[in-house]
Amino acid sequence: MTERALKSRSDDDTELVEDRHFSILVCIDGSDESYRALRYAVRIGSGTDADLTLLYVRPIDQGLRTGGLQFSVARENLLDWGLELPGMKALKKGRDMLVELGFLAEDWEEEFKHTDVSGDPLGDNMIVYKSDRGRAITLKLMVSPSVAHGILDECDYGGYDITIVAKSTEGPSTGLGFIEPDVAETVAIEHKGTVLVARALEESHGHLVCVADAEESIRAARRDAQIASRCACPVFLFSVASTQAALPEAERAIANAKAAIEEEGIRISGEKAVIGDPVSSIVEEGRGYSVIVLSAARQKSGWRRFFTTSVAYKVLEHAHNSVMIAR
Amino acid sequence: MTNRDLPRLPRMAKVRQVALHPAGRRLSRTTPVRGLAFFLWEKRWFFIAMLVGGLIMQLPTPDGLSREGLIVLAMSVASVILFVTEPVPLPTVALMIIAGQVLLLGLDSSAVAKSLMSDSVLFIMGSLMLAVAIVKQNLDKRIAYLIVRMTGTKTSRICVGISLVSGILASIVGEHTVAAMMLPVAITLITLTSDDPKKVRRLAAVLLFSISYGCSIASIGTPSGGARNAIMIGYWKEFFFDPSDPETRKFIVDYVTWVLYCYPIFLIQLPFVTAILFMTFRPEYANMARAVVRLRQQIDKQGPMKSTDWVTIVVFALTLYGWIAYSDTLGLGIVAILGACAFLIIGMVRWEDINSGVNWGVVLLYAAAISLGVEMKETGAAIWVASSFLELIAPLGIDSGVPLWTAVSALTTGVTNTMSNGAAVAVLGPINLKLAVVAGESPILMGFVTAISSAFAYLTVIGTPACTIVYSSGYLSTTDFLVVGYRMVIMSTFVLILAAYLYWPLLGL
Repeated sequence: MTERALKSRSDDDTELVEDRHFSILVCIDGSDESYRALRYAVRIGSGTDADLTLLYVRPIDQGLRTGGLQFSVARENLLDWGLELPGMKALKKGRDMLVELGFLAEDWEEEFKHTDVSGDPLGDNMIVYKSDRGRAITLKLMVSPSVAHGILDECDYGGYDITIVAKSTEGPSTGLGFIEPDVAETVAIEHKGTVLVARALEESHGHLVCVADAEESIRAARRDAQIASRCACPVFLFSVASTQAALPEAERAIANAKAAIEEEGIRISGEKAVIGDPVSSIVEEGRGYSVIVLSAARQKSGWRRFFTTSVAYKVLEHAHNSVMIAR
Repeated sequence: MTNRDLPRLPRMAKVRQVALHPAGRRLSRTTPVRGLAFFLWEKRWFFIAMLVGGLIMQLPTPDGLSREGLIVLAMSVASVILFVTEPVPLPTVALMIIAGQVLLLGLDSSAVAKSLMSDSVLFIMGSLMLAVAIVKQNLDKRIAYLIVRMTGTKTSRICVGISLVSGILASIVGEHTVAAMMLPVAITLITLTSDDPKKVRRLAAVLLFSISYGCSIASIGTPSGGARNAIMIGYWKEFFFDPSDPETRKFIVDYVTWVLYCYPIFLIQLPFVTAILFMTFRPEYANMARAVVRLRQQIDKQGPMKSTDWVTIVVFALTLYGWIAYSDTLGLGIVAILGACAFLIIGMVRWEDINSGVNWGVVLLYAAAISLGVEMKETGAAIWVASSFLELIAPLGIDSGVPLWTAVSALTTGVTNTMSNGAAVAVLGPINLKLAVVAGESPILMGFVTAISSAFAYLTVIGTPACTIVYSSGYLSTTDFLVVGYRMVIMSTFVLILAAYLYWPLLGL
């Protein structure tokens, strides 16, 4: 495990030193799902020196929606009344949860940072809590033209090992996905790193790692096994062959993944190769697990979204529970 | 830390203030394109809009429609797609409409520039400036005091009070202003009742919707209640008023006339709003005595009315008088601008506040949308669409009278729920007015039906500014709007059609 340090060069410039902890970004939106995701992140980060960042992004109103009166006027009014904006409340609840879980202690050093942002009375704010051992927990309240943009910016800036975004299952589907793509899906598709889309996330059912006979898939499986081992989550390997003839290939994929994972000293709890439609097989098999893990090639993802849909994105769309796109 | 900082966290050691590392933020602030694929995906609706517009322009010109009319139709369809999907900042659509009129229609650039400014646009600009000036006076606590004194502590009464006060104010100054002022009142009551949002989930819905729906039903009450009203008044004058024909004088609708037609519709709907909200959400607390007492304590700290409060009230009362007495001669816009000037001259508001509080892009957008609407009339596109629409619905027996009014109301309600209500009236107004002409109906009646129905945007967060502002509180979900919104749509449509059938004829329509 390495160490992260932020060294101030000057008042407005800091340098991110390469040595750093395992880092987790949890996107908080105030929903129960996002707090379940936070609890899961704590489980992944517990027992290690993991850094944790809680991010709440508030979109800046750029259009007609407030009838020509800037959102900032309403926000200023709320602040004048001494009321907390929803983002503050949501982060505060997350912070309280971390204290309750023992992941954050009262005696940690606290550092507050602020940047003015045009069009918003609150701007960007963050509080960094640092332990004596150099572990950091950061609460960030950001404004951005859109929530997805804000999260992606933070992902790019922070270089997190894993980004967790909640996808709420509350309410009926509006069927407007093409008009207004889901924030979680946008982040999962566009981010260059590993993304966990948390949906009905339960902690103790293990990871279903779906593998194919490809190097990137094996790498992703090994990566997830490392993450799963942090929270003592059992790892199950799963591979789908579309025909009987392809079954040996699926079995080979499982064998290769198993070997790669066991090299890391992690035990596999189960394995299964089936014949069928990959998407529906994975979605059905995945019902009993905490997380379905798939790999995706970043350089193709955007185009795939345009012209085709890969197994990973179809599973992301149709799964009933959490999906991790490992990269 | 102050309340402008992050959550009030327990005091911990060594707090240091430094600038947030900006490196990561430079990405999207200065480089809007994250990658070609992402760019194309994000902007897909822009390309689809351009493609649809281009395809329409390539179609053979239909009988009865000029080539210019087809181009204006193509621009309108593309604009509507962009209004609804927002793939680019909305003021960009305005700029494209302006450029399109010169490049595609071959109009003189100076003529296009002149068409952008009208009394309706001046009114929109002036009322937005007035909105900032009023919000800056911190009258919200006074209003809260008035409500809790008037209503007592019963939740139902407080909701009626909030809807009534929000409504009365929104009928005069614009719903966004009122929503921005009333939001802290409602949230204070909610948080004083319980800190746990789950325990006050339904109470929050009732209180917040009392603001937004109170504002929505009232925003049609007077011409100054919303941009769409001013846009419709502008269209009536532009489309039907002929200075050489005294008969057409009736198409100049003044402030008082509008109030006579529309204010009763607001008042009739008022009790239904609270009833619908209570039936839908059934709040957890029937009495809010504890919260009201604490709110009163907070408000009492303000002390008695100050001279600046009285000056604000006087300036605004004079502006209102100006609208009532002089709107038919000076125009709504000039009066609104004079009101804003008065606030600036007296020093009640700084120009910097107005400059930062008004979304000037919206003024530009309305200007361009109205200009396009006028072009729809000039090129014959509006009457062609109206005739085609009437031919389409005639076999269904809804081509005149109450069925036609209901169809127009339903169409407007559908459109206004997907885009700003002002934009909906700007786009649909010319078509619906020409529809009235073709169907032998009164353009005044059809204009009122269109403008009033554009307030029925109860179903979506983006439907009205007030809905967007109360949604920003974080207490509501998008499905809440659907659950209660459809009941509101049915009630409002029923009241509107009833008024059009029974009440407006009494006024000579």
